Amino acid sequence: MIKLLKCEFMKTRRRYVVVTALAVTAAMLVWIYPRHHSGDLLRLGWMANLYELPLINSIFMPLLSIIVSSRLCDIEHKGAMLKQLAVTKRRGQIYDAKLLYGLAIMLFCVVLSWGATIAFGYIAGFEGDVPIKLYLFYLLFTAAPTAAVYIFQHTLSLCFKNQAVTFFSGVIGAFLGTFSMFLPQLLWLRRTLLWGYYAVLMFVGLFDWSKENRYQYAHFEVVGVDWSFFVVLLFICAALYVIGREMFKRKEM
Amino acid sequence: MLLKLWKAERMKLERSPVWLAFLLMPIIPAVFGTANYLYQKEVLTREWLSLWTQHTLFTDYFFLPIMLGIYCAYIMRLENANHNWNKVFTMPVGRASVFLAKLLTAAMMLFFSMIWICALFVISGYLAGLADPPWLTIARWCVFGTLGGMVTVAIQILISMNIKSFALPIGISFAGGLSGLGFLAKNMGHIWPYSLMAYGMNSNAPQKIAESGGYARFAVVCVVYLAVFTAIGAVTAARRDVT
Repeated sequence: MIKLLKCEFMKTRRRYVVVTALAVTAAMLVWIYPRHHSGDLLRLGWMANLYELPLINSIFMPLLSIIVSSRLCDIEHKGAMLKQLAVTKRRGQIYDAKLLYGLAIMLFCVVLSWGATIAFGYIAGFEGDVPIKLYLFYLLFTAAPTAAVYIFQHTLSLCFKNQAVTFFSGVIGAFLGTFSMFLPQLLWLRRTLLWGYYAVLMFVGLFDWSKENRYQYAHFEVVGVDWSFFVVLLFICAALYVIGREMFKRKEM
Repeated sequence: MLLKLWKAERMKLERSPVWLAFLLMPIIPAVFGTANYLYQKEVLTREWLSLWTQHTLFTDYFFLPIMLGIYCAYIMRLENANHNWNKVFTMPVGRASVFLAKLLTAAMMLFFSMIWICALFVISGYLAGLADPPWLTIARWCVFGTLGGMVTVAIQILISMNIKSFALPIGISFAGGLSGLGFLAKNMGHIWPYSLMAYGMNSNAPQKIAESGGYARFAVVCVVYLAVFTAIGAVTAARRDVT
């Protein structure tokens, strides 16, 4: 496995996969941060992040997953490389190595954006200390749906030679996930969608916000962590992994 | 010649279900945007305009630019694979025409998507209990959205022509959509190429086009951008070596 991982690293050395992932993460950070510089949001900053960032993640992380998985898997589709690999290593191992490598890149980006969120809070001068326990929950609840979406995209990217299929299905999924955030009335929608788990695992609510006073009298509160659906998500991850690995093993090359 | 090339492009896409994505994608904002409109009816008081915002806000900034990016990368994929550019560039056709044919192919898909988005909008409006759709305004959104979107398409074709990777141009298109949102927020949506589609479709501020000099000026900006990117595409193609 170590050899296969090294092999992945060598194959992607000049393909700028990590650079592309970092560029998308940087675009996300640039897009998020200028908004928090002033007013009541400085007072509410730490909690406001926990309320607002899942929406941003629901757009960016699935798209980053599509790009990374496609970049990693498309190498093998060119020149029938998968066929050559499959006669030297077991297919399951190839699936695992590529998945691990891609997941590592994704989780690195998640941790990076999480760290940048905290660093920016201090730089911007958010009031009070960072609620570290809540931020660790946020990290976990960002990483878990991202991993699930990545496993799904990874399977599609490996099983379909035509990468347009993986892109279109991923984008449509991300679109559905983003919309599910705006429809708290339709809880079933976010719970049944892989991309909706950024919303399911949100644990901070906004109260007393009004159009006239905006954040003046508003406050954020922890509304509870839905651990049952976190467990459901872990099961989904495991199921996606088993099904995806099996699909790849049975794929006609 | 251009028509023949266009026909060739259509032949390359035959039996490819890419159009399905453009058929499915607008249904999502139509269903859930309308649901959101119905839930928030007391806040969203501008009837058809409010419904339009619900339908197009995320579509124009994030998802349609990415879809166009994917489509453009897809129609360039065949040429980018297996040194097929050599075959294309040794055909007795102008290289600018090759670029234009691809631009037209993607523009047609964009136009059909726009018509589909507008049709779904009207149907959703009726289902949501609204009456008297503003037909002329909807037609204007459709036409100017297509025109603005063609600029995005031209850039994406140019990028996909020069970058062999399939995913990278799509990432750029995503970043472009984001930058478009930023420029719109800074009141520069009428001059930034990636903002023009959302601007032409009036996704979130129906008054802005009128303030910035109206539709004629918008059309001129789009045509100038299209001419510039087509010229760059033609020159890039002309300078490319057959190897």
